[in-house]
Amino acid sequence: MEHSFLYGPVNRFLISLLGAPPVAKLSPGWRAFLFPDGEKIWLQDNVIMAFLLFAFLALTLPLARRTFRKRSPNWFQNANEMIVLAVRDLIDDVVGHGAGKKYLPLLGAFTYFILLSNLMGFFFFLTPPTSSFQTTLALALTSFIYFNAQGVREHGVVGYLKHFMGPILFLAPLMFVIEVISILARIVSLSLRLAGNIGGEHIATGIFFGMVPILVPWPMMLLGLIGALLQTFIFVILSTIYIAGAVAHEEH
Amino acid sequence: MSKKGFYGVLTMLALTAAPAFAQGTAPGTGGVKWGVVGAAFAIAVAAAAGAFAQGKATAAACEGMARNPGAAGAIRTMAILGLALIESLVIYALVIAFSVQGK
Repeated sequence: MEHSFLYGPVNRFLISLLGAPPVAKLSPGWRAFLFPDGEKIWLQDNVIMAFLLFAFLALTLPLARRTFRKRSPNWFQNANEMIVLAVRDLIDDVVGHGAGKKYLPLLGAFTYFILLSNLMGFFFFLTPPTSSFQTTLALALTSFIYFNAQGVREHGVVGYLKHFMGPILFLAPLMFVIEVISILARIVSLSLRLAGNIGGEHIATGIFFGMVPILVPWPMMLLGLIGALLQTFIFVILSTIYIAGAVAHEEH
Repeated sequence: MSKKGFYGVLTMLALTAAPAFAQGTAPGTGGVKWGVVGAAFAIAVAAAAGAFAQGKATAAACEGMARNPGAAGAIRTMAILGLALIESLVIYALVIAFSVQGK
């Protein structure tokens, strides 16, 4: 797969600024972890694109917020309100009434970041950050830490761990192991699903684009558009369901 | 799966395996690239089973929506969620296919 238009310039700039990365000093494991792209590369494509998207969102949304009016909303305000209200209503539906406002900040941030980074695949000079397993692993870890923290905050440490025990006491050791494994598997499933879908779509579109650059990749790109929206929805709703499971009170 | 279908799949497997073995004995090719064979087989089986499951899920969801249009919203959400969960297993196969492809 080809790289984005910032990959070469950013790395050349970083090398002229800081010199080559200290690859030789590191052990092979750290080298493969920190600099998998070789000796001349400081940052990988997904990191650069994620920073680009972060900068874009951090500049655009606060500036656009100044133009928002309660009486006469413009199209951009309408679009943003649609997204934010949809996420809030989703959380209200799943977690419980009134929870939407509490969990909106993180899940709304997920929505914006994943949606826009999925859509970055449609520009030939950009690479979607979510097509890389590392970015989605970071997102999934954030979600994982967040829902566990919310569960601990709601029930306390002991009460939250009691969730994993199951209803019967003598089965508790077995249930605990199974529950912990199934919760840890959520990280893998969240991150692999997003990265595999977006990356696979990107690669498939690239193959079609290589065959005939016009008309043939368009159906694939339409599927990619549906997939981009759908995967955003799936990531957000699964995070919401996990939060709902963590903060739920057991009814007797 | 019906008996007929089972034998059909067996026949197809035999037919696809024959060229692969033939390729392996050809001189100068350096053997079969089993990674490619495994990757193609993995994604083919996963796609077939996933498509079957998604078809069943979609059919059930459509039927539910047609019988009770009032519940269409809830059914749609659950259907999309279920389809994505089914599809994620296919995606695991895709990821594995990519990772074994070069071996």
